[in-house]
Amino acid sequence: MDAKSRDLIITNLLAISAGLVLSGFALIFLGVDPIAVFGNALKTIFTDKYTLGDVFLKATPLIFTALAFAFTFKANLFNIGAQGQFYMGAIVAIAVSLKLDGLIPTGLLLAVVCLLTFIAGGLVGGLIGFLKARFNANEFLVSMMSTYVVLALMNYLLRTFLKESKGEYPQTDALTRAAWIPTLVGGTRLHMGFVLAVLAAVGVWVLLYKTPLGYRIRAVGSNAQAAEMSGINSKRIYITAFFISGALAGLAGFTEVNGVQHMLIQGFNTGIGSAGLGIAILANANPIGIIFASILFGALNVIGNLMGRMPGINIPSSIIELMQGCVMIFVIISYYARSYMDNRREKSKLKKVEES
Amino acid sequence: MIINLLNRALLMSTPLLFGALAEVVAERSGMMVTAIEGIFLVGAWGGFVGSYLTGSTTVGILMAMCSGLVVACIYGGITIFMKQHQVVTGTALNILAAGFCTYFQRVIFGVPTSPLKITPLANLPIPFLSGIPVIGPVIFNQNILTYIVYLLIPAVYFMLYRTSIGLTIRSTGENPEAVDVAGISVNKIRFMTVLLAGIMGGLAGSFYSVGYLGMFTSNIIGGRGWIAFAICFLGNWNPRGAVIGTLVFGFAEAISIYMQTIGGGEYFPNEFFIALPYILTIVLTVSRKNFNVPAKLGIPYSKEN
Repeated sequence: MDAKSRDLIITNLLAISAGLVLSGFALIFLGVDPIAVFGNALKTIFTDKYTLGDVFLKATPLIFTALAFAFTFKANLFNIGAQGQFYMGAIVAIAVSLKLDGLIPTGLLLAVVCLLTFIAGGLVGGLIGFLKARFNANEFLVSMMSTYVVLALMNYLLRTFLKESKGEYPQTDALTRAAWIPTLVGGTRLHMGFVLAVLAAVGVWVLLYKTPLGYRIRAVGSNAQAAEMSGINSKRIYITAFFISGALAGLAGFTEVNGVQHMLIQGFNTGIGSAGLGIAILANANPIGIIFASILFGALNVIGNLMGRMPGINIPSSIIELMQGCVMIFVIISYYARSYMDNRREKSKLKKVEES
Repeated sequence: MIINLLNRALLMSTPLLFGALAEVVAERSGMMVTAIEGIFLVGAWGGFVGSYLTGSTTVGILMAMCSGLVVACIYGGITIFMKQHQVVTGTALNILAAGFCTYFQRVIFGVPTSPLKITPLANLPIPFLSGIPVIGPVIFNQNILTYIVYLLIPAVYFMLYRTSIGLTIRSTGENPEAVDVAGISVNKIRFMTVLLAGIMGGLAGSFYSVGYLGMFTSNIIGGRGWIAFAICFLGNWNPRGAVIGTLVFGFAEAISIYMQTIGGGEYFPNEFFIALPYILTIVLTVSRKNFNVPAKLGIPYSKEN
């Protein structure tokens, strides 16, 4: 292993631990022993199959939203609106599933829903890319704002067209089992969507690093002007990259609606867009790294929920965001530490050359 | 009714204006303060906690400014001195701020049976001036924060365009090498503008909790920090543009609140009015043609050696 990848692993592990330790201090304010609580939560994860399954379950949508951010990031574009594209996917997933539920076989239904959520998320993303390409609109702002617009649309639909038949709460009817994504491991909630997410990550890796389109996307990302000079239509790349990015986020809507909730409720998974961004940073936008980073964030999620359910102590679920935020900050700092170490290594190398 | 609506519009513009002016100054020096949403939130929280525990809104507002300052300090430290990505760092801080405020709200207050309330800032009608028809009740019957912002607009304008420090700030965003050659530390200037944005952003946040609602909820800001961020872009990075942009948004928000209270839902769904400011941002972002982006916006400065 070369010095660079050694640094990468060590600094990342240090950063993650530092983030966890810092958020552990927050537990002391509640009069809770952080070590005991963490230990307890970890023990549950590794002894209870159901809980372990939940780690991967929670990681699933995060893989998608992280890939969504990473994909445009490679083209030096910012898609901050994964949350909105996820909601759009979720709206389409529940609407189509409710319509087709019981009419066609499960496999076909899931394939149709999967495809349509892909397109729905993709269209939201593609629209942002189009505005960027055609009007040179700042994609950062547009994607940021699009989330709030889609959120309002979702709330409106939940109150009107998609409202449950009982008509009591702003939520949809539940899907029957025929529209559920089949479970992957018996005795857990983990469903096939996780496999889809891993495949998507591998697919994105292949697309980015082994195909001409991926090459063009990365070329535009590293120097748009040079790419344009060499005959790459950067505007088309903006639209394509944003379409795929949005589509990936849309798929998270599919796995969450058909795989986990089996219905759509208000205030649904509010943090996965920004957590996805954090994961993409943690993994340095590497699709394969994203799988592992998502599992870490999934684990933080489960640990946070476990803490909230421990008898006698009352830890609010906001500890999850606190842990994720702390980890992210330290990971960003670790980037600095790495470039610092890199610099020093290069300098000492130069010195050796000069001396000899 | 019109008077009430305009008064409301100015009221809702106040925090956006604090945020947007702060953002203009910082971005002119080359720093996008993407942590602004988090700064607003800690401001709202700090302001609430300070006011609730001491019973004094002044202490609350000071506390809000300090909270914003702390976040800005971390943000500046990482983006300026460690040269890390501004968007990425900002997003991380926004998540952290959300977790921190929600968590410590619970630590301090537990799970209260009824929502915790403080008395929002009272309107202070200015004698004589508030008696002028239409203009009086609209402009001169506001709370203290709105009056401060009235003074801040010319102050920021003057500072940016008529003083040497303003010239330095603007040059730092356009040509940091020249600033460096003149013997002024680029990083120090940038750090200062970010800290200023922290103080003003914290103040803006406290407007929502202390100044207006009299309570704190974890979604109290709901993207308004980002709107202030957007206004800075749309206002073409100058205070005048920011003022115009803010008034448009304040008006949109006032209409949105007004339509919700009179039950405009019969004709348009409420959600449409909630989304209106965000839709407006998108439309304006798309329709704006000539941007005067500071040349080195978002790019960390390092001396070549």
